Amino acid sequence: MRISTSTIYDSNVAALNQQQARLLHTQQQIATGRRILTPADDPAASARALEVSQSDAANTQYADNRNAARHTASLSESVLQSVTRLLQDVHATAINAGNGALSNADRKTLATDLQGRLDELGALANSTDGIGNYLYSGFQGRTQPFVNTAGVMQYQGDDGQRMIQVGASRRMAASDSGADIFMRIKNGNGTFVTQAATANTGSGIASLGLVINPAALLTGNSYQVTFTSATTYDVTNTTTAATVSTGNAYVSGQAISFDGIQFDISGAPLVGDQFTVAPSTNASLFKTVSDLISALNTPIAAGNAASSAQFTSSLNRALNGLDRGLDVVLTVRASLGSRLREIDALQTTGEDLGLQFKQTLSQLQDVDYNQAISDLTRQQTSLQAAQKSFLKVSDLSLFNYI
Amino acid sequence: MSIFAAGVSALNAAQAGLATAAHNIANANTPGFNRQEVLLGARQAQNTGAGFLGQGVDVSTVKRVYDEFLSGQVMQEQGQSNYLTTYYTQIKQLDNMLADSNAGLTPALQEFFSAANGVANTPESQAARQTLLGSAQALVANFQSLNQRLTDINNSVNGQISSSVTTINGYAQQIAALNQNIVRAQATFNGQPPNDLLDQRDQLISQLNQEIKASVIKQSDGSYNVFIGTGQSLVVGDKAFTLRSVQSLSDPAKLEVAYAGSGGTTTRLQQSSLQGGNLGGLMTFRDQSLDAAQNALGRVAMGLAGTFNAQHQLGQDLRGALGGNFFAQPVPVVNNNTANTGSAVIGASVSSYAALTTSDYSLRFNGGTAYTLTRLSDNTVTALNLSTPQTVDGLAISASGTPAVGDSYTIRPSVNGARDIALALTDSAKIAAAAPMRTGEALINAGTGKISAGTVNAPPPVNGNLQALVSIAFTSANTFTVTGAVPPVVGAVSYTAGAPISYNGWTTQISGAPAAGDTFTVSINNNASADNRNALLLAGLQIQNTLEGGTASYQGAYAQLVSQVGNKTREMEVTSLAQAGMLRQTVQAQQSLSGVNLDEEAADLLRYQRAYQAAGKAMQIANTMFDTLLNLGR
Repeated sequence: MRISTSTIYDSNVAALNQQQARLLHTQQQIATGRRILTPADDPAASARALEVSQSDAANTQYADNRNAARHTASLSESVLQSVTRLLQDVHATAINAGNGALSNADRKTLATDLQGRLDELGALANSTDGIGNYLYSGFQGRTQPFVNTAGVMQYQGDDGQRMIQVGASRRMAASDSGADIFMRIKNGNGTFVTQAATANTGSGIASLGLVINPAALLTGNSYQVTFTSATTYDVTNTTTAATVSTGNAYVSGQAISFDGIQFDISGAPLVGDQFTVAPSTNASLFKTVSDLISALNTPIAAGNAASSAQFTSSLNRALNGLDRGLDVVLTVRASLGSRLREIDALQTTGEDLGLQFKQTLSQLQDVDYNQAISDLTRQQTSLQAAQKSFLKVSDLSLFNYI
Repeated sequence: MSIFAAGVSALNAAQAGLATAAHNIANANTPGFNRQEVLLGARQAQNTGAGFLGQGVDVSTVKRVYDEFLSGQVMQEQGQSNYLTTYYTQIKQLDNMLADSNAGLTPALQEFFSAANGVANTPESQAARQTLLGSAQALVANFQSLNQRLTDINNSVNGQISSSVTTINGYAQQIAALNQNIVRAQATFNGQPPNDLLDQRDQLISQLNQEIKASVIKQSDGSYNVFIGTGQSLVVGDKAFTLRSVQSLSDPAKLEVAYAGSGGTTTRLQQSSLQGGNLGGLMTFRDQSLDAAQNALGRVAMGLAGTFNAQHQLGQDLRGALGGNFFAQPVPVVNNNTANTGSAVIGASVSSYAALTTSDYSLRFNGGTAYTLTRLSDNTVTALNLSTPQTVDGLAISASGTPAVGDSYTIRPSVNGARDIALALTDSAKIAAAAPMRTGEALINAGTGKISAGTVNAPPPVNGNLQALVSIAFTSANTFTVTGAVPPVVGAVSYTAGAPISYNGWTTQISGAPAAGDTFTVSINNNASADNRNALLLAGLQIQNTLEGGTASYQGAYAQLVSQVGNKTREMEVTSLAQAGMLRQTVQAQQSLSGVNLDEEAADLLRYQRAYQAAGKAMQIANTMFDTLLNLGR
């Protein structure tokens, strides 16, 4: 085949250009450490890399969010730990106050001590995160949640619970409403509450009681046990004004049951003494403690069985309220604990996931140095060969011999 | 004496051969040069009765070694190669722009949502809010700068179209002039071919092909008629038509190509007919890749602004006011064709960002209230009756005024998305991190019923009574009454644990076992500095598939753009390389016939030198013969 002289030059230049372009590409890959220099190098992988990098960024973000959640949970946990200790102290004091050897003056001293604990409880409930945001005021971070209005602690916050995105599909509560911790504590046994009337003259004391038939209790009605003599009593449903039973024989400590409710009365009630049974309502921790204080402040008339029985009733109610309050606080602490544990678990998963994303990203867009360097050497050799052979070929001419 | 005559003719022939070889050597590197060769023919012999005695040699012509078919093939391949290379060079700019996944839109988008998460974590923190505004500003700036790059590329395409048109005009005039010269030269010199003029004209045609695909029809007088594209005449005989770049009727930001008539009039060409070459490459790149890239980027910006705003409007800011727009919302562009005679105004707005495509649309009025909408990406045609607004592909289209039949409009939904997105907020307190209502349960509730935090019903605008106090009071364990709802709820509503309860534009759930007498409230969310419900939803938009028919997140839609550009660049790179290889092969074939080989010419030089010497020797011998004769008489 006839070859034109310019073809020899043109095709060699084109070949050299192509080889140089390839060499430069490999060199740039090595210099930047990236396999994909522009999306055109591997369009599918570069689009995939963008998506993976978003997943990776979101995953990193969740780790930050988890730290924020852990921070508030730890803060709340340490406050509630103090609350627990405080309630246990108050509980011990209340038990101590039941000691019959104590005088009215001794009880007053205990009351003074408890007043201090009550103020402390208020301060704990109004804890802030250190930069002025209340922990237990729901959504109203800048509103003091618990305010003492005329001796009664009122809740000013709301039921808002802040959630934090701690995983791609997991939102975790980062705060708890103060109402749930300090205000919504059911009195009595949680279903109904028994109480002796203040005008009682006997020494009868009603127990907490228990529910023996939940289905029948759904009435939610209130009842009254009225003693018609020291040994007999009537039961009426005060909600419907219906008589439940009459002329029941009273034995101290023997179970009294009706409509699924069962409790007992011990001691010696007198004619006209009344005991009420009503559905449980919410009593705040503050009210429980302040009721205890006022009970301690009320002197027991010496030798007055009724007065003594009332004190015992109040004390029992306070101890029950403290137990139930402690229960609530411990439940919240348990939930905080499980949240913290879940955060730790999510953290581990998140780190594993992050590692996988990084690996995928690296596989998608990072250069394989072994491959690249061997490519570079090969391309270098072939470029050198092309250059040398071009020199030889272009040197050949008949004119050299004319 | 025929020996002298034959000798002289041989000398002349050898000289012609040497001159041609020298000419070939001289033009070995001249573009478009075809090697020439001398055609010799023996002279008519003299009849002597004793046979025919030769009279020497004649140079019958000098012809160029030229194959019309091969040259035509080179031109075609050259035009296609330039088309692909230009397209590749242009789209490579887009490819480079999107090259680094660690710079550009991706990190800006991620930082923006990271800041949104920061606000969700600490909604009361001014620092977190300020960070969100700052990163939103950075994101917006990023969109705008990417868009600016695309606009710059469009401007540069316009510039290149102008200069390409100028170049084409230049070639056309030169070809017309050469046509004239060639016809004249052939007429003057008995039809002898003016080789070098022919080469020049062929070279011009080849150069013209590099600008735009051109075809040639050879006329009997030796002139060429040249047509471009799909048959638009550019040169007819010695007359050249002039092209001009003019503003597009449907989009003032684009240049198009038209014929320049006499007196400054223009006749527009069908733009799709301009194929091949640089100009074809530029046009196709602009229509297929640049517009698509700008639309795709704009759609990400528009979708982000639209969906983020919609969620933001469902929230409440730090001061207790309802959320406004977070971003300034870009809107679709409607261009009236400048040739329209009617006075109709076409309105287009986005009704669904999920349904929005990256295509442009062309709308044409057919009379009455009938319009035809063509989606330009795939030429899907939809007939529309615009007596009432219609929605197509997430685009609500309306018409008012009086159109004239044949009027057309171009609707470009997202072209300005990335340009027009801006931050609408400057006050960090106006970030609507909270929800405008909150739920609560009375402290004295005896049952175990719990009310959920509640959500605001999408889409905005929010219900006017959203923040009105609504109380839900249980009259029994299974029924409740609602007060404060608009319209009022009459009678008791039966209760199902966990079922959604929705009034006044909000939805909540009550679960557990409420007791008779329990009350729950939904009320205005005053002082809610720690409420992050809306911020949480805003931050969650990052991984929600809000675009592309609900299949792509913002990042996903951007990744689609990157993948589209990457794929097209890859395609162009590969095909332009393949075409370059093809072109090399064809040029090689053409050159192997018509190109100059210096060794061959060296051999020719030797051959004709020898011939010249031999002819000289023949004359010397003839001279000696004469001397012999003359000496006879002495």
